[in-house]
Amino acid sequence: MTEAPPRTAGPGPAATGPRLVGTSVPRKEDLALLTGTARFIDDIRLPGMVHATILRSTVAHARVRSIDTAPARAVPGVLDVLAGAELVGKVKPWGDLMQDLLVGDHFPFATDKVLYEGQELAAVVAGTRYQALDGCEAVAVDLEELPAVVDPEQALRPDAPLVQERIVYEFGEGNVFDRYRVRVGDFAAAERDAAVVVRQRFTTNKQAGAALDPHGCVASHDPFTGVLTLWSSTQSVYMVRDVLADVLQIPRTKVRVMVPEVGAGFGSKAQMFGHEVIAALFSMRLGRPVKLVLRRDEIFRAGTTRNSQVRYAELAMAADGEITGYRDYVVHNTGAMSVWGNQVVHIGTNVGMLPYPIPNVHVDSDIVHTTTAPGGPLRGFGIPQTVWAKEQLVDMAARELGLDPLAVRERNVVDPATFPYRTPMGQVIDSTSIKQCLTACAEAIDWAAKRAAPVPHEGLGLAVSMKYTSCRHPSLDTDLSAVRLRLETDGTVTIYSSDVSHGQSHATMLSQIVADGLGVGIEKVTLAPPDSMTAPFGLGTYASRGAAVLGTACRLATERLRDKVLAIAAHVLEVGPGDLDTGNDRVFVKGLPDSGIYLEILAATAAYRTHQLPPDFEPTLETVATYDTPTEREASDGSGNLSVTYSGAAHAAHVRVDPETGRVTVVDYAMVHDTGTVINPLVVEGQHQGGFLMGMGMALSEDYVYDENGHQLNASFKDYLAVTAPEVPELTRMSEIPAPSTTIPGGQKGAGESGTGPVPAAIGNAVLDATGIRFTALPITPQRMLTALREKERRGVETLRYPDDMPDFTGPRCPDEWPSPTAAEADDFDFDFDFDLDPEEGA
Amino acid sequence: MQQVTLTVNGREVTAEIDERTLLLEFVREVAGFTGAHNGCLEARCGCCAIEVDGEITKSCNVLAVQVDGAEVTTVEGLAPQRLAPVEHVTTQSLAGMYAPLEAVRTRAEDLHPLQEAFHRCHALQCGFCTPGMLMVLKGHLEENPEPTRDGVRHAIAGNLCRCTGYQHIVDAAMEAAEVMRGDAPVPADG
Ligand code: FES
Ligand code: FES
Repeated sequence: MTEAPPRTAGPGPAATGPRLVGTSVPRKEDLALLTGTARFIDDIRLPGMVHATILRSTVAHARVRSIDTAPARAVPGVLDVLAGAELVGKVKPWGDLMQDLLVGDHFPFATDKVLYEGQELAAVVAGTRYQALDGCEAVAVDLEELPAVVDPEQALRPDAPLVQERIVYEFGEGNVFDRYRVRVGDFAAAERDAAVVVRQRFTTNKQAGAALDPHGCVASHDPFTGVLTLWSSTQSVYMVRDVLADVLQIPRTKVRVMVPEVGAGFGSKAQMFGHEVIAALFSMRLGRPVKLVLRRDEIFRAGTTRNSQVRYAELAMAADGEITGYRDYVVHNTGAMSVWGNQVVHIGTNVGMLPYPIPNVHVDSDIVHTTTAPGGPLRGFGIPQTVWAKEQLVDMAARELGLDPLAVRERNVVDPATFPYRTPMGQVIDSTSIKQCLTACAEAIDWAAKRAAPVPHEGLGLAVSMKYTSCRHPSLDTDLSAVRLRLETDGTVTIYSSDVSHGQSHATMLSQIVADGLGVGIEKVTLAPPDSMTAPFGLGTYASRGAAVLGTACRLATERLRDKVLAIAAHVLEVGPGDLDTGNDRVFVKGLPDSGIYLEILAATAAYRTHQLPPDFEPTLETVATYDTPTEREASDGSGNLSVTYSGAAHAAHVRVDPETGRVTVVDYAMVHDTGTVINPLVVEGQHQGGFLMGMGMALSEDYVYDENGHQLNASFKDYLAVTAPEVPELTRMSEIPAPSTTIPGGQKGAGESGTGPVPAAIGNAVLDATGIRFTALPITPQRMLTALREKERRGVETLRYPDDMPDFTGPRCPDEWPSPTAAEADDFDFDFDFDLDPEEGA
Repeated sequence: MQQVTLTVNGREVTAEIDERTLLLEFVREVAGFTGAHNGCLEARCGCCAIEVDGEITKSCNVLAVQVDGAEVTTVEGLAPQRLAPVEHVTTQSLAGMYAPLEAVRTRAEDLHPLQEAFHRCHALQCGFCTPGMLMVLKGHLEENPEPTRDGVRHAIAGNLCRCTGYQHIVDAAMEAAEVMRGDAPVPADG
């Protein structure tokens, strides 16, 4: 037993209760990242490593006549070449591996048909990257181009080119990959009884995650052990390991996935990709490490994108402003193939109904293939799309009834007398402060005063959302994370987790939890790099699940570790465990914080002096905990509590529209969030600000622009308009009104995506207020704005819906019954927009 | 192949290289400093920004042969004494002495004021854009000791960050400027 010297600094002796959780501890991750010593995927260099490059299709849709790799083999430096034909029957196709609907729509290379521009045709590995590029140029490709289908509604037509020819879908036919429906309550009755039903066709854009750190991997196969090691820039260790092992038909024990620093993902790295299989195959064939890092244009064309949607949305409202019903027909464009794409419409619609407990919901969706880049998850996972339509309809209905949009929202947001409260859609709200968030957000933007004194070309808009905190995906009956902890014999603690931190600050956040729970100094806690050989099984980092789900697993593992530590200390000190407390790296008798036994002594006892352990104590101090959320599977009517708790977001936008350039400037923006108990306030603030940025890009500039042949015209940061610093308003009107989750033991809620959901809708509502134009398409580009302003002037109207102005429409249920939209003019997205453009000759 | 000599972070590096080799590739693959990142190779993202003969340059936009003989500083050169991150691990004898919050902070004199301010303000999430941001801001603050928030935003207009929304980066630049001017005491504990 050791006497501790008196403390000279740091927190006082009250060592119980949270000390670090809830404080903005500067991050443990930062030093390496700030000094350039952090190792990202492209920084990995192994002895004997060679370089691979992929040859990709330059056409979107084509029959493969032949791909001759022989000429590439003759190029100096080229070591090996691969194409699809030789892999058929040897490599297993993959798709949504873990879902009921098993679809083998992915293969490392196009074999009989090319389905989108950028699809893999062949790959070359050589001594240097330049030699590999030379090799790719030598591959002889003969393709017979087929008509492309870019527009998801065109893809539904019986005469549309068929994208996936070989796959027989369970629920769809033609280009319909899957169907989805919600039947909650009785929308027809709601429609009959409503004071007003507003209807509009809305469209949303294909947005890129555009994480700056490229997708890539290094594969190294050890012919002696047979273990294939893959370093990959991915969000999920086990998704990659399990799918890769399955594809290669080798045991999962022979695939080891390790993850270096990952320069963000936003959902775009939450699956296994073809390049990971290709690098693995090359390494297995050559017996050498192979690096394959994608270029920016490859990531644009062949990475995943936010699923674009066409929504025929309707909202019923009673005279007093109560929202009584929502109906929608969604054409959901999931690109040429998709691993996660169809899930987006399920979760985006179910959770997207919040924060309103709408009693009657009727949604149909066709999930369709087009010859465009694969759809997938992206920050917000379908919520921003749903909110874009629904929150604009709320404003439209409020205006028709002469009600204040703020008052209508305050009347409708979920605000039950008691918790937990189950909404008609099935969500179980365990706590929320969304109503207070809404009020506070309106105050922050100065809603009442600014609306009383309108400024020309300026406007205000509101939008609210509640976001899932992780999710039980309809296709994946699990929602778990796990943590293993080891108290090392020098008193330090190692955390093992397979949920990859790629900006979310796991090392800091989990260390805060461990430090508080165990009474150990935070600098003694280390998060081990994600590695499938050592980390417990977990699903990965996506869906805002880090703080709540992984954090809970960490909390449980810490509690178990603390119990073990107390048991040893109680035995040594001959007191009951209940008389003990932890803190300052020690276990001490309650009330005597300056005495006690150091954790390292206890850890050493547990490992090296096992005779001194309590009888029956299993030696060493290592614990593991897995937390699976108490969520439900989606019911056949589409209802269900898919998320363990819901984070609230109330946003208010103040925009200015320049009638000369058509440019929308976000002058001011207020965000008030309910993120439950916040572990690290500065980190959560950063998440919201980053979330806003992505929402702003979706609202105003980011989109995939295709020509009719399916060529992406803006597969580069030159033309893809990612939001830059001068465009972003000062994001200082931000606050939290925490309503701690009662389901999650620590009270946390998801932080990562709350900032994104309401942004396009809040900006859209503000644009209407500023201009009288209700934008129905995203993004609201300067050129679209100029066209709309001119059209409004030409028609001499007060308000205009643009581009789809359809005032005569009365409640149809399928697209055939919808009147044709009357787009004002050709609506090309001019990504090379010139701000000096003369408005007279614009567009 | 051509022979090129560059001084990178004070170290002279000579190599026979393919003429196509970009300055970024030379710095990363020949000289071995991987702090400058490849985020686009199209001179748009700014992740590759380094200092070349005193000028902040996007190193993906320059061939190594074009700058033969130049003096180059990368993010690794900002805080040379910190070439490897040191995990501070206390021992039993120190256990009663340290303050947990201070221990995870680095001592200010180890880092450039910008690095220190980025750490304090949480101006990096994934950190991939950070080396380029630091180099561009270093150039901006050296030329504009009294920067404005708007000026900082325009200075980094050629640097993308997909994570932070830029807010904390601007905060950090303003704080660092104060320290660099000598107005603010070097924060002892943030
Ligand atoms: S890599 Fe040089 S600017 Fe992007
Ligand atoms: S911190 Fe991730 S890109 Fe800037």
